[in-house]
Amino acid sequence: MRTARHRRALAALAALALLFSTACTKDDDTSTPPGRTDDPTATSGDPTGTTSGDVGDVIDERLADCPDGSETAGLDGNTIKLVSSYPREGLLSAFAEIAEGYNAYFDRVNEAGGVEVGGEKYLIEVEGFNDNYDPSQTVEQITRALGPDGDGAFGTFSVVGTANNIAIRTTLDEQCVPNIFASTGAPAMGNPEFPWTIGSSLPLYSTEANAFADYLKEEKPDATVAMLLQEGEYGDGYEESFAQAIEGTEITVVATERYEPGLNTDIAAQVTKLAATGADVFFNGATLLPCPNGLVKAAELGWNTITYVSGTCASKTLTGAAGPAAEGILSAPNLMDPNDPQWDDEPRMADYKETVAAWKAKANRPGSDPLNGVVGYGWTLADIFVQALEAAPELTRSAVMKSLNALDVTEAGIMFPDLSVRTGAGDRFLGESARLSRYSTDITAFSPLEGTYDYEGGTAIPPALITAG
Amino acid sequence: MRRSGSLAALAALVVAVAFPFVVDDAADVRMVSLGLVLAVAAMGLNVLTGLTGQISIGHAAFYGLGAFVSAQLTIETALTFSSTIPVAVAVAALAGAVVGLPALRVRGPALALVTLGLALVVPTLLRKYGAPGRSALWQPRRRDLASPFEGVSDTQWKYLVPLAAVVLVYLALRNLVRSRAGRALIAVRDNEVPAATAGVNVALAKIAAFALSAACCGLAGALSVLVRGQADASSALSYFQLSIYFLVAVVVGGVATNGGPILGALVVQVLIDKAPEWGGHRAGLAPFILGTALVALLFVMPDGIFGGARRLQAAMRRGRSAPSAGPAPSPLSPSPIPDPKEAP
Repeated sequence: MRTARHRRALAALAALALLFSTACTKDDDTSTPPGRTDDPTATSGDPTGTTSGDVGDVIDERLADCPDGSETAGLDGNTIKLVSSYPREGLLSAFAEIAEGYNAYFDRVNEAGGVEVGGEKYLIEVEGFNDNYDPSQTVEQITRALGPDGDGAFGTFSVVGTANNIAIRTTLDEQCVPNIFASTGAPAMGNPEFPWTIGSSLPLYSTEANAFADYLKEEKPDATVAMLLQEGEYGDGYEESFAQAIEGTEITVVATERYEPGLNTDIAAQVTKLAATGADVFFNGATLLPCPNGLVKAAELGWNTITYVSGTCASKTLTGAAGPAAEGILSAPNLMDPNDPQWDDEPRMADYKETVAAWKAKANRPGSDPLNGVVGYGWTLADIFVQALEAAPELTRSAVMKSLNALDVTEAGIMFPDLSVRTGAGDRFLGESARLSRYSTDITAFSPLEGTYDYEGGTAIPPALITAG
Repeated sequence: MRRSGSLAALAALVVAVAFPFVVDDAADVRMVSLGLVLAVAAMGLNVLTGLTGQISIGHAAFYGLGAFVSAQLTIETALTFSSTIPVAVAVAALAGAVVGLPALRVRGPALALVTLGLALVVPTLLRKYGAPGRSALWQPRRRDLASPFEGVSDTQWKYLVPLAAVVLVYLALRNLVRSRAGRALIAVRDNEVPAATAGVNVALAKIAAFALSAACCGLAGALSVLVRGQADASSALSYFQLSIYFLVAVVVGGVATNGGPILGALVVQVLIDKAPEWGGHRAGLAPFILGTALVALLFVMPDGIFGGARRLQAAMRRGRSAPSAGPAPSPLSPSPIPDPKEAP
């Protein structure tokens, strides 16, 4: 009896082993998509992606490897279904308001009958999921929303975070799912190795770092700089771009401190060390609550010096959280601040405020505050996307991606009137221009200084940042 | 009686195998696949908690290690994903044996703290020394995790493999409990001194239990790579959370029962998966729903689903016939305390 049971167990084990190990080594299947290497550090052609050919050609080449029916997947009748993932809860939720901006815009478009693409009208719907700003959860949420074949939605829209987008882009690329407007300023989103991903209109971290470096070259050419950075690709973006931008100048970085992203938002220790250097400049490259916390701590320590904050922090929620400690800080946004009264008569700003306020009442969204720059950013993304859709000859995933890679938008949402968004052959970056702006606690807004900083054509981007991740 | 139990198990297996072929929604199939992965880990933890009475709140460390080994080997070497599984299990078992050493000296809450430390240290080490880029995520290519069979879709394959693992681990552990080695482990749990007197090598039994338990979690980790498409060491906090889910699955299903952890894992996974939806994706509601559901479940069934089912079965039997001695105790169950009401 006992022997028989052992035999049965052995037979079961053997069957399972057979099932598992149909072969111990992989078939030497090298069916890598054309133009793509599996080694992320190796790139074909121009690694910067700034002078290479049209990414549309790469998309065309790879279409044959896409899952069947992928071109029109995620279209539910005449509705374009998009999904997004971002931190929605608790201390990390400041970026959740981006969705209020684009939802308000899309709602207006839908109310007016939809967006016209190739002679047909389509409605736009975005469903958002919470990932707690954790890349593995972003993968989880997007995988679940898109399903095993990537046909659960037409694309992803404004997924927040650098590491989060890097975590999902390989799969989206394999499934030929458009990853539209990755909400990060990381130049890695313009890597031509991943043609189905495109970054957002947020100023690139390299744009910000260069604008601020150029400002310092004029205002304080021998400045000593202390940097607070987030661990990971996001922090690398500022550090490497700023280092490149100050090459050959008298400006020096005297200290760099990093913090781990997550629920612990206490960066007092890092700021104390930076302040102890007595540097002329505090480059606060933190985002979410560590950013205002950094400002408050610096003020507490009496380190009242030239301070720059990340564009991701330049909003009513985050900058406002620093209270008086935010007075006089600089940033390099490309959007008009809804709180700045000088834009009250600007028609695009008035339209934005009116529509978001109406949406707030209609959809019962108390968090949807038109005076919050984060909402304005979401609104601007939606405007650029709708213009890209209208310019597409037909509603297919590839046609939309090609359109996004050939943008020439001169009036984008609440972007500064003298700035535009352009992409094209060899240039996959939207946020290449900005205006240095100063925050005033009197009006609780960033007002632009004179002049614009334009790095169109990817000239200010360290190549290593494009192939990062 | 035993025959009807076997028939029920067979029916359950048939339903389980048919599930991914009759359910269309890939998200639901994936949810159950994740539940099966959790079940393997929970069965592993139950070896430690149920069989030898040791507490761990850091078993996700072994799960993470298994996932890392499997994903890294699939990405970096010519090995197929399936052939990395035994390696992942072996590495996790070895790590379990090493961690089992302190368990010889500490017990109860102190041991729980040791394991908690493990859950925090492992992802940090993996992130520091093993991360492929700045993020501690290891993602094998999709085609390396695809179904090798023409008629079986990827979703079905990613369900059937964990299901096979659940069946195998269940049978192995059931046989272990009935074996001499299993009795030795139970003897150690109930009282170490008489166990040693009776010739049981207590130290070896404890280390073996840790290794076996870790091996199961390593297997679950490897399977998680198949289902989730990634191994993850981005957050120590998520390792701690996962370890708690293992424990919750064991407790909800029924500590020291063979099938309990499987049921518990499936229930916990459905709650994790569906709570955000039930809460209308409103901020903070999902954890509230999950927590409330678990508290309610344990309030109604304090000894877990398996215990509750046994209780129900006994009550029904009592209802049918004259008062009896109640359900037959499982060999896994802790020493039974006589119930005065049921005394003859």
